[in-house]
Amino acid sequence: MEEEKPKTEGTKAMSRPHLVAEKDYSALKELFSHHIESFDYMVDNGLETMLLNIKPIEICRQAKLSYTGKFLVDICFQYGDGAVIREKFNFGQFPIMLKSKLCHLRGADDSRKLIAYKEEPSEMGGYFILKGLERVIRLIILPKRNYPTSMARNSFRDRREGYSDKAVVIRCVREDQSAVSLKLYYLNNGSARLGFWIQGREYLLPVGIILKALVDTTDHEIYVNLTCCYNEECDRVKGSVGTQLVGERAQIILDEVQALSLFTRAQCLRHIGEHFQPVVIGMQNDSYKTKLFSLIDQTSVLDNPDSLQNQEVLLPGHLITIYLKEKLQDWLLKLQRSLQEETDGEKKKFELSSLTDVKKAIEKNAPKQIGLAIESMLKTGRLATQSGLDLQQRAGMTVQAEKLNFLRFLSHFRAVHRGASFAGLRTTSVRKLLPESWGFLCPVHTPDGEPCGLLNHMTASCRITSYYDSKGNVKDFFKMRMSILNVLIAIGMTPPSPKLVQAGPPELLSVLLDGRIAGYIPSDLIEKAVTHLRRLKLSSTSSIPVDLEVGYIPLSMNGAYPGLYLFTSPSRFVRPVRNISAPAEEGNDLELVGPFEQVYMEISCPDGGDGGRKTLFPATHREIHPTNILSVVGNLTPWSDHNQSPRNMYQCQMGKQTMGFSSQALNCRADQKLYHLQTPQTPIVRTKAYEKYCVDDYPLGTNAIVAVLAYSGYDMEDAMVLNKSSVDRGMCHGHIYQTETIDLTEQSAKSDRAQRLFRRSNLDKSSHQLIDTDGLPYVGQRINPNEPYCSIYNEITSQTTSMKLKGSEPVVVDYVAVDVKNKTHLQKANIRFRRSRNPVIGDKFSSRHGQKGVCSQLWPDVDMPFSAVTGMRPDLIINPHAFPSRMTIAMLLESIAAKGGALHGKFVDATPFSNTMKESESESSSLVDDLGSMLAACGFDHHGTEVLYSGVYGTELTCLIFIGPVYYQRLRHMVSDKFQVRSTGQVDHITRQPIKGRKRGGGVRFGEMERDSLLAHGAAYLLHDRLHTSSDHHIADVCSECGSVLTSSVIQPPKRAVQVILKQLPAREPKKVTCVACRSSKGMETVAMPYVFKYLAAELAAMNIKMTLKLSNEAGA
Amino acid sequence: MEGVSYQRFPKIKIREVKDDFMKFELRETDASIANALRRIMIAEVPTIAIDLVEIEVNSSVLNDEFISHRLGLVPLTSERAMSMRFSRDCDACDGDGQCEYCSVEFYLRVKCLSDQTLDVTSKDLLSSDHTVVPVDYSDTSSSFDNTPNKGIIIVKLRRGQELRLRAIARKGIGKDHAKWSPAATVTFMYEPEIYINEDMMESLTLEEKTELVESSPTKVFGIDPENKQETGKCMIVGNPSTSPGIPLCGSRWPNTIWVYASMVIVVDPEAYTYDDEVLKKAEAMGKPGVVEIHAKEDSFIFTVETTGAVKASQLVLNAIEVLKQKLDAVRLSDDTVEADDQFGELGAHMRGG
Repeated sequence: MEEEKPKTEGTKAMSRPHLVAEKDYSALKELFSHHIESFDYMVDNGLETMLLNIKPIEICRQAKLSYTGKFLVDICFQYGDGAVIREKFNFGQFPIMLKSKLCHLRGADDSRKLIAYKEEPSEMGGYFILKGLERVIRLIILPKRNYPTSMARNSFRDRREGYSDKAVVIRCVREDQSAVSLKLYYLNNGSARLGFWIQGREYLLPVGIILKALVDTTDHEIYVNLTCCYNEECDRVKGSVGTQLVGERAQIILDEVQALSLFTRAQCLRHIGEHFQPVVIGMQNDSYKTKLFSLIDQTSVLDNPDSLQNQEVLLPGHLITIYLKEKLQDWLLKLQRSLQEETDGEKKKFELSSLTDVKKAIEKNAPKQIGLAIESMLKTGRLATQSGLDLQQRAGMTVQAEKLNFLRFLSHFRAVHRGASFAGLRTTSVRKLLPESWGFLCPVHTPDGEPCGLLNHMTASCRITSYYDSKGNVKDFFKMRMSILNVLIAIGMTPPSPKLVQAGPPELLSVLLDGRIAGYIPSDLIEKAVTHLRRLKLSSTSSIPVDLEVGYIPLSMNGAYPGLYLFTSPSRFVRPVRNISAPAEEGNDLELVGPFEQVYMEISCPDGGDGGRKTLFPATHREIHPTNILSVVGNLTPWSDHNQSPRNMYQCQMGKQTMGFSSQALNCRADQKLYHLQTPQTPIVRTKAYEKYCVDDYPLGTNAIVAVLAYSGYDMEDAMVLNKSSVDRGMCHGHIYQTETIDLTEQSAKSDRAQRLFRRSNLDKSSHQLIDTDGLPYVGQRINPNEPYCSIYNEITSQTTSMKLKGSEPVVVDYVAVDVKNKTHLQKANIRFRRSRNPVIGDKFSSRHGQKGVCSQLWPDVDMPFSAVTGMRPDLIINPHAFPSRMTIAMLLESIAAKGGALHGKFVDATPFSNTMKESESESSSLVDDLGSMLAACGFDHHGTEVLYSGVYGTELTCLIFIGPVYYQRLRHMVSDKFQVRSTGQVDHITRQPIKGRKRGGGVRFGEMERDSLLAHGAAYLLHDRLHTSSDHHIADVCSECGSVLTSSVIQPPKRAVQVILKQLPAREPKKVTCVACRSSKGMETVAMPYVFKYLAAELAAMNIKMTLKLSNEAGA
Repeated sequence: MEGVSYQRFPKIKIREVKDDFMKFELRETDASIANALRRIMIAEVPTIAIDLVEIEVNSSVLNDEFISHRLGLVPLTSERAMSMRFSRDCDACDGDGQCEYCSVEFYLRVKCLSDQTLDVTSKDLLSSDHTVVPVDYSDTSSSFDNTPNKGIIIVKLRRGQELRLRAIARKGIGKDHAKWSPAATVTFMYEPEIYINEDMMESLTLEEKTELVESSPTKVFGIDPENKQETGKCMIVGNPSTSPGIPLCGSRWPNTIWVYASMVIVVDPEAYTYDDEVLKKAEAMGKPGVVEIHAKEDSFIFTVETTGAVKASQLVLNAIEVLKQKLDAVRLSDDTVEADDQFGELGAHMRGG
């Protein structure tokens, strides 16, 4: 767990100071450019010194009292006119991430302190609390920043006439995390266009203009620079990237510019300015040259944008930063406009120089909206943005961190999503497991089904780089870069002097530092440079950051574009590997490696021997442990290397659906639904990760004695038989905690605005047994369905209403919490119910090997098979057919190992691939032999089998039975939540058919396929019963004259007339229905039909279609 | 067939009796009776266990259901159980199970006032009937009594927490709920008959013999050291650690192995678990039949362990009593009388004739 902390909360916390320093500065920059007229004087006063401060004035974590309180903080903007005045403005409540620098839990490193705060002893933070819900910002994969990626996409062709499908894309990110994607399209005529999106529109510029606009240079220099990579002598040599065509293309590019008669930089700038007046371009500065070179990728391989090599991650702090920046920009724009209006207005009252007036104007602009906007973004996960922030998606940025169990909670923080836009994609290429993600993304831990391959999880050892170095200090990027440059220049790099270097790849390779050209290095020196840099990374004394990514792409034939790419930026993936080439000074040989460089590194894995490496390329690095490729959850499966791989995937999923010990601070929580296992156990067979990540604090299963045999017939098809006595004794007992929040202010605001109070009625004493005088239930009270659990008094209508318990099972009131913030009257209460969920037939269980099953019987203990030696009866029986096709050998191993472990009274280590790690030991003993001898030492069979006797007959079962303890998990899917039954009940008011939906007491649909099967059986009566009699049976009056179903009308004979008639003609009864159309009741007949049929007739009539029925008595007439 | 009586007179020989443990032989009967006895001991011998809990105050960390479940599983001394009434059959009370004939009342009133964690144990349960109390485990074993035995922990309280409740214990059987089961474990095994074919055994080398002996995971066979002494030879075995009883003459070890005199004997036939490992080994050695093992169909060795609610010996007696009652129920039921007309002979046999 300690491992987790740096990741989420580190990134988060760091965003805050960063956000203060830089983001607002950029917002001010915005001020400069656009508001000059109105803010002239402010500028004079020196806006640069303006500081924004976020200060947590009040942290009201009332959540633990009312459980719905928001975790809020006031931001105070110290908004000053230079040194003269500083004013505070309230920008609303700003959500704070738990355990970030602003969080009051930050200081509580000691678990005792956390417990005192009524938190988990191992609280890791990293999430927000909004309206009582814990929400995490999802990590989303983004293209690697400041790195040009070459792509081929058919959609590029559709941009305009003459565009090819090839382009180079670079995502430029500024220091404040705001990003712009630039695309350099290749045109069929050899030229190129630069495209970028601003405010939802794509602008395309000829690349020549940009080139000229950026640097004061001559056409010749550009030409030489563009063509430097081509050299006729080394054409076709390994590593050459240019062809003759480059020259021609460069010519074309320059010609184009000339055609527009632009010759100097100034002219170009002006040209750009003319066309893009409303738009600010300031983005390209960093990265222009890199794209230029990548253009030549025509000869090199296309980069795969789906590969992790070219990806980084969107961190919560960065997302909030850019979102806040935009919101502030919008707000300032609005403010400027309103100030403008005020000054331009007729009344000259408004004085810009008067501070109070300005303040008033600012207040009018609702600065509190900004805090609100951030909050609602976190709450809904939706970005309300104009520009799109250069992100692919606008929704689903946050998810709720469900505390179903510890593994699920943890996985929310380790999950990396590929992006919502990929979910809809028909192609499966994005979902592929690529070798580049080795060691960074877990190959096992991804859900199957819809989000398969899109929602990945970081491996246990994977980290994300941040703005903080290992000591917790903010990195000084400028210093870092300078020191890197100094090192490189010392080795032999030529710095990019104004004079352009006139050679390209085969001889000279460019060195890019965070997307900027740092210089050129001869290709024969580069290997040395790389190893030197790596060595410096390890030593703590050098100022080279430990997480520097040294991406050296070597020269190759038609390979990726060569060069030395250095990255210091945050939000990259990194993971530790052992450096075995460098002499380990200071004993530190753990190097942080990124996915970009990993591809070109020689990292050997203990499991794979030399990995097919030739002696030519000896391994320079070694994996720390093969399990480093697995996520935390994936690491918990014992001996997962012995299982068929999909089973491990299933286990990763089911582990997260397990009912476990979800929270230590159960008493202080008000989650809507919380699953809790009453008597969990620690697994006998466990991996190293189990202890490392302290899963014992949140155990999620039971060591059940499992016998593998076909015994009662109730264990067929993945069903399993539980021993009733074991269940009686408490095996797999559990509870569901459910919290109901009743907010009276909310209720009254919704309806009549009447004051409401919790109060019980004195007249109706029937509920007094359940409800106390305060209108709330007694704690510990058992409440049955449809019984009231709280009563509310409405002061206007002076009526008491009671809330009734829904559902079909009784609950116990576990806890009642009231919000005492409102001193006068109680307005808000949380009532936590507890429903006990002991195993019943139909509940789902699973082992840790993707072997799930449903309890089919609670079998009496005496009927269970028993062992003559020990008298042991199994806790559960599973069918042997569960094994052959699924090949979960690890489950068998677990059974043997746990049996041995239980007999010897010790835990058994089941870390996968561990046999590859013990180097010295002889290979003689296999795992099974080790485990078997443990059993044999205690007088048990080598293979974990035992002779069992039938519990019913007392005779020996004819074969040996495999029996032993296996850690079983109880899954949260329980029949009590799922069963659906109905005899009669509500019907749909339009069709008069039974309604659907379990909650409302609806039925199970008897659908078309069910109908087909009854037809096939010829079960006509049953069919009629299901579809008609028990559904919307209706007796309609049909007029046989006009054939209409709709025109019948019931006549209400006038009372007096009836009496008269009755007196006169008592024998004749008047017809009650009549056809309105025919104005007679002569032809009226009653016909049984489904009511929907009549409804159909009515619908058709509404469309001017008349439906006519022909009635007859005989069939076939 | 007429005149043949199927009646047998089973014999019981008690081998070992402790308060909560008993081992006995049951002979001259068949598996049905043995298994019936086992099943009854586990599931149908009545005991007393807490069945109803009224919680007055519970400020402990465990919820009410959890505590009542734990209370239910506490074994209570149930010598009275056989004579007690099931509360459903009780006419003294209207089946609500609150009278002295069918229930025992318990109180638990604990509050933690110190800063130290207070263990609430079964000893804190106050019974209204001195014959029905939580089982005291402290005197049974005095071997590890460094810590004072305090009974079964029900819940732990910290300062200020309180638990106050009234519980009612009733008679019941293990079939209804495992808490009423007096047996921790009841099991029986068929007595094995092991024959060693001496002639074939002689044809094995000592190594093979030891291998055969070692093949059984439990210690059923052994190599008789006395026999070797008789022959007056100094025996050397390849792996001295496997047969510790054999003296070792180190100097002569590499080349002198006198093997033929040693005998494989059955050390403990009851250790045999019917795992067939020895038979498989013999077959693998190409000597099937060197050892033959059969289960005696009519003798059983029972092992009974109780929870302490009833003494082990009493449990067996009670089980026999219950079995008799059940047979009586069969004999006296109308169905049996009717069936007598059909199967006269059998019916008479049933009634012990």
